[in-house]
Amino acid sequence: MPTLIIDNQTVTVPEGTNVLEAAKRLGIEIPHFCHHEALGSVGACRLCAVEFREGPVKGIQMSCMVPAKDGMVVDTGSAEVLAYRAQVIEWLMTNHPHDCPVCDEGGECQLQDMTVAGGHGIRRYTGPKRTYQNQNLGPFIAHEMNRCIQCYRCVRTYQDYCGGTDFGVLGSRQRLYFGRFSDGPLESPFAGNLIDVCPTGVLTDKTYRFKSRIWDLQEAPSICPHCSLGCAVTPGARYRQLQRRRARTNNRTNGHFICDRGRFGYGYANHPDRPRYPLLGHRRVTWQEALAALQNKLQELGELFGPGSIGLLTSSRATLETQFLTKRWAAALGSDQLCFEAHPGRDLGARVAASQRLDRTASLEDVRNCDLAVLIGADPLSEAPMLALALRQAARRGARIVVVDPRPVELPLAYERHAVSVEKLGQLLRGLSRPQQSEFPSSMEELGGSLASALLAAKSPLLIGGTDLLGPQGTEAMQQAAEACSQPETPCRTMFLLAGPNSFGGALLSAEGPCFSSLLEGMEQGRIKALLCFEADPLADYPDRKRSRAALARLDMLAVFDCAATATLQEADLFFPTTAVEESTGTLINNEGRMQAFEQVFSAGTPLAESAGGSHPPRFFSRDIPGSEPQSAWGILGALMGRSADLLTLRSEIEKNDHRFAGLSQLEARGEGRRIAAPRQYSLSHQPNISGIMGSDQLQLLVTETLYGSELLSNLSSCLHESTPSAFVMLHPQDAARFKLEEGKKVLLGTPVGDLTLTLRIAGDMVPGMAIVPRLRGTVLEPLVPGTEPLPCRIEKA
Amino acid sequence: MLLSEKQITQLKRRVRETPHPREMILDVLHAIQDANGWVSDEGVELAAIILGLSPLQVEEVATFYDKIYRRPVGRKVIHICDSICCWSRGSEALMQRLQQLLGIAAGETTIDGMFTLLPTCCLGACADAPALRIGKTLYGKVAIEQLEAILDGERTEVSS
Amino acid sequence: MRTCEPLLFKNRRIGETVFLEGYRRTGGYQGLEKALRDMTPASVREEVKASGLRGRGGAGFSTGLKWSFFPSDDPGEKYLVCNGDEMEPGTFKDRQLLLADPHHLLEGVLIACYALGIGTAYIFLRDAYRQCAANLEHAMDEAREAGLLGDNILGSGFSCEVHVHRSAGRYICGEETALLNSLEGLRPNPRSKPPFPAVKGLFGKPTALNNIETLANVPHIITGGAAWYKSLALTEKGSGTKLYGLAGHLETPCCVELPLGMPLGELIRDFGGGVWQQRSFKACLPGGASTPYLTAEHLDVALDYETLEQVGTRLGTGGVVVFDDRTCMVAATLNLLRFFARESCGWCTPCRDGLPLVCWLLERIELGQGTREDMTMLQEQLRYINGRSFCALALGAMGPVDGLLRHFAEEVEDHIRLGRCPLQA
Ligand SMILES: Cc1cc2nc3c(=O)[nH]c(=O)nc-3n(C[C@H](O)[C@H](O)[C@H](O)COP(=O)(O)O)c2cc1C
Ligand code: SF4
Ligand code: FES
Repeated sequence: MPTLIIDNQTVTVPEGTNVLEAAKRLGIEIPHFCHHEALGSVGACRLCAVEFREGPVKGIQMSCMVPAKDGMVVDTGSAEVLAYRAQVIEWLMTNHPHDCPVCDEGGECQLQDMTVAGGHGIRRYTGPKRTYQNQNLGPFIAHEMNRCIQCYRCVRTYQDYCGGTDFGVLGSRQRLYFGRFSDGPLESPFAGNLIDVCPTGVLTDKTYRFKSRIWDLQEAPSICPHCSLGCAVTPGARYRQLQRRRARTNNRTNGHFICDRGRFGYGYANHPDRPRYPLLGHRRVTWQEALAALQNKLQELGELFGPGSIGLLTSSRATLETQFLTKRWAAALGSDQLCFEAHPGRDLGARVAASQRLDRTASLEDVRNCDLAVLIGADPLSEAPMLALALRQAARRGARIVVVDPRPVELPLAYERHAVSVEKLGQLLRGLSRPQQSEFPSSMEELGGSLASALLAAKSPLLIGGTDLLGPQGTEAMQQAAEACSQPETPCRTMFLLAGPNSFGGALLSAEGPCFSSLLEGMEQGRIKALLCFEADPLADYPDRKRSRAALARLDMLAVFDCAATATLQEADLFFPTTAVEESTGTLINNEGRMQAFEQVFSAGTPLAESAGGSHPPRFFSRDIPGSEPQSAWGILGALMGRSADLLTLRSEIEKNDHRFAGLSQLEARGEGRRIAAPRQYSLSHQPNISGIMGSDQLQLLVTETLYGSELLSNLSSCLHESTPSAFVMLHPQDAARFKLEEGKKVLLGTPVGDLTLTLRIAGDMVPGMAIVPRLRGTVLEPLVPGTEPLPCRIEKA
Repeated sequence: MLLSEKQITQLKRRVRETPHPREMILDVLHAIQDANGWVSDEGVELAAIILGLSPLQVEEVATFYDKIYRRPVGRKVIHICDSICCWSRGSEALMQRLQQLLGIAAGETTIDGMFTLLPTCCLGACADAPALRIGKTLYGKVAIEQLEAILDGERTEVSS
Repeated sequence: MRTCEPLLFKNRRIGETVFLEGYRRTGGYQGLEKALRDMTPASVREEVKASGLRGRGGAGFSTGLKWSFFPSDDPGEKYLVCNGDEMEPGTFKDRQLLLADPHHLLEGVLIACYALGIGTAYIFLRDAYRQCAANLEHAMDEAREAGLLGDNILGSGFSCEVHVHRSAGRYICGEETALLNSLEGLRPNPRSKPPFPAVKGLFGKPTALNNIETLANVPHIITGGAAWYKSLALTEKGSGTKLYGLAGHLETPCCVELPLGMPLGELIRDFGGGVWQQRSFKACLPGGASTPYLTAEHLDVALDYETLEQVGTRLGTGGVVVFDDRTCMVAATLNLLRFFARESCGWCTPCRDGLPLVCWLLERIELGQGTREDMTMLQEQLRYINGRSFCALALGAMGPVDGLLRHFAEEVEDHIRLGRCPLQA
């Protein structure tokens, strides 16, 4: 731990810290371009020079390249250093256009900042400037090469950190070009990070172009709602329109980066079809009318049929506050017909996952630092994209990554792959949970044995599973396997991929409560007369759509509280508009049990651009802000229960009520979140066995998530549509040959939801005997939901 | 055909056999350039296939080197040295005369596709300054008056 | 006229190449035989260290010292890389050696590999040296045939493979870490040091790096002994002979092998045939394009590492480029700087953007458009580029600017004052 003096202040830093970072610990920001906390130092820009007065290094040196050593005395602002930095800026400006007033980076440009910090105001170079032609890099990123200052951050992010191979640096000397081999969309699902790392206006958010200057944006710390990892983001809104999202730093979770689904999935908040008014039947009503109608109906049903006739449902999209109040309200109503997820498999999977010992639960940070990760039934890029990036960082440090999956799982890194059927995954896990007895099924002996010994030998081993493919039993088996493959000093941790941003919260609150199947039964039997859906879409999410549709049709009242036009909403008798994440505050618990608070970015309202119909200024005036009816679901629940709508009071109450949520009231949106205090014990033995994997030689249909198109909210973001695939089915080459089918041709897939015409894709690295389809909303594949055991299907030429 | 099947198979085998396939990148680009005079976009794509890299990864390296031509060149490239020793002994005048004789500016190719004129740094022929290289032949101590004959000779060498 | 018994050029006849037979006739491969037969690797290293040999690639670092940092006894994979990029203007010595006598280098490479416990060597050649590459390949075939290369060399149990790698241009590839990237098929940007190549070099393995001329000296040190080798130099601190290049405004430009420490004036007079066309000497680059100028007052200076450092320049590669009295030093410097700006790899700001700015300033001054402000700016460039770049390219590039401002400030001022180049009629 070297101790050194920087600008007369003493600081002690861990071995290996460079002087630039050491200074940062003292709050001294040494100007720099090429250094980046996540990317490290490369010493290219030469801006971070400081003067070393005493110690092992003397004179002017780049602070990012010099490791802190005992006895160093550093001056970050000597006259010589300042003059030199001004010179560096002058060099960088020789070819930089003077277009700040029209530049998309204006206001958040590091070159602007450094020009001011560097004290270089007047350009002495009056010669011609080098210019470039830009490339079309696809729907997300605008390219303006003339503004490049060659800090190499983009290549280092894209290639080194994210593993992309289609964007890089071309040319040399003063004619460097950062781009692609030819025009075309960037292939990496992490390409959006280029926007954040580029210090100038070369790579900017195309979806945000010309919408506002950044100082006009409303921003607040928030959490990405598009998968269960809970990455930290900073959304920006203006004129009642959510205009962009960028990554926020949380070293425990996402680090500095986010995926493109998270970055560009924000469009749901502005969706033109978003329901913004309370509805009674299909009639627009006031909040009072709607609430009164609800209360009356509930009272009537309660009196006639008892409190058990009211069912309540929330989802993994609902905040902890909403889930908690729903539970409270159910108790107040006297109903025990309450459930937190419409998909029973996902529900129970999450409940099992949330019962894991916390010291055995891995965060993304743990993933980045692991030396062995075995993924069984997890497809990171589809189910939790940032996990893929975390795995890549582990691999870059030499970790071994093994994927065991029936699907052709792709990762942006070097990894081992074993194509194994769903059925065998479970057997493998059961074998791993008794590695000494080596009870692996016959074909799994070698793999199982080698995995078990590798897990036992690794320093920080990890088992990663997706609850969709593992199911509740498989999830439990993975926990047991992790336990069995742990050594006292080197425990094997697990990470489970769950359905949504707050699956974990719902799982904790649901405990031994019923799952949605039993609610459906109640509806079918006429016991349950009303269903209240808080940000839940049972029609789309319950795996058997026929059944849920029929059951919902029997209800006396279906009330929906949501911010998106869901399938269930179409059937609702009563509708209450709720806020988008960015329009409200709340707490989400990610897949590792980390409670994370988010703040309100802006107030709900129809975007000005929309309400003004393109004219400016708006031609119609009203007292109220158009479209501002949505309220937070927990706020509405509070109103229904006649409680104050104060968030802090609510959080304290949650915390007092359940010690697992200890610390909730102190949670700061800007922080790193806080792990729950303890898991909730949960055992599957209370549940009927819902998994029963079929064994037949018939082709089996497996439905899985996909990067774009599966997740409800991001699928409403129009800028992602260009990148969303059209409906397809994947077969192993053997099966394609067996059925005489060709890649790219139309095929007919016979499924429980009918015959679907799809495009065939052939993938060599999946298991044979299986037809894999993605869940793709808005296509014929929409009714097929992941997280169910494989179904029989047949396939033929269309 | 940028390379013959045989060449491609051979290169692919070498790539397979070396523990560091990327090490072969210049060999592959040289092979393509030797066969075609330059490396076209298709050439970069072919190299990428042979090497198991993305076209961009090949392009990143190809565009760094000035002796890998990423634009079409004439049948013979004239590299005229513009570094200090040749400069001190009249390379500028030589360059002007060449431009006159060929009717092109530096970086251009004659209309008949015969010559491309490229200034280059020191050819390692400093004692024979001013020097130039046409195709594979190095010419030293070149006097302005010799240029026409040199060009003629190079032209007839091609046609014979 | 001072001469010496040539070592590296002993077989050189202009226009001819000596191969195995000729090379052996004059004692070739005796050094290798002696090393393998009579010496341990450590004693070879000791001998080289005692000889005082300094690297001929430009930096002049002690070869023995460099080898002493190398983990010779570690059993793992290690490499020797021979730097034959030779692209610095005014430098053409390595080419002469390979054109005349390719086995010379090969023997040096093999002894070095033996001394350092290395089994694989790469010889990196610039693209223009096709004939040199062909000579080397032929020499390697011969050597293999004769049991001098490959497995179990001369029955000693020592095995060594050599690969010739052809580059595709770019001066930066001569910088040792850029060269490693180039060999690996990566963009040849320099790497940061530490880790030094001796620790983590080619493909992440310990790598020894030496210039062609440096390695070609090794057989002679082994056969003749360190003391004899050291005594060849004219100056006390110097050691051995040097391949001097003589180019520019001379009657007979050439490349000659002479004792280290030749006085500049003598070299120019006796071997370069004096300044051409009866003109007088104005200045010279003493050791390639990156070394600050010497002027007429330096004609007595001995061309060796120590002496040249004392007069504010460097021996570099030993390529002397002479300018006559009609040369405009601003124009000469501009030519040099254009070279360096064009050859910058584009990694760091001072070099990538600073050197073009220097070119712009020199151009303005040369064209008579320069102002006092430009002169100030030029001085600032010297101060801020020197020592602030990522690798030594930019440092070398500023050598001539340093020389210009130290020795020819008045000439620069004249350009500004007159609004034209004073040397142009
Ligand atoms: C820009 C640059 C170009 C260089 N070019 C060469 C070269 O062409 N040949 C060479 O031997 N050394 C060159 N060097 C020096 C090498 O980096 C290295 O010091 C040398 O090869 C070591 O060998 P030596 O110790 O035998 O001299 C160059 C250095 C720099 C900074
Ligand atoms: S000084 Fe910088 S830009 Fe120049 S060659 Fe070295 S690393 Fe590249
Ligand atoms: S931050 Fe240190 S050189 Fe760029």
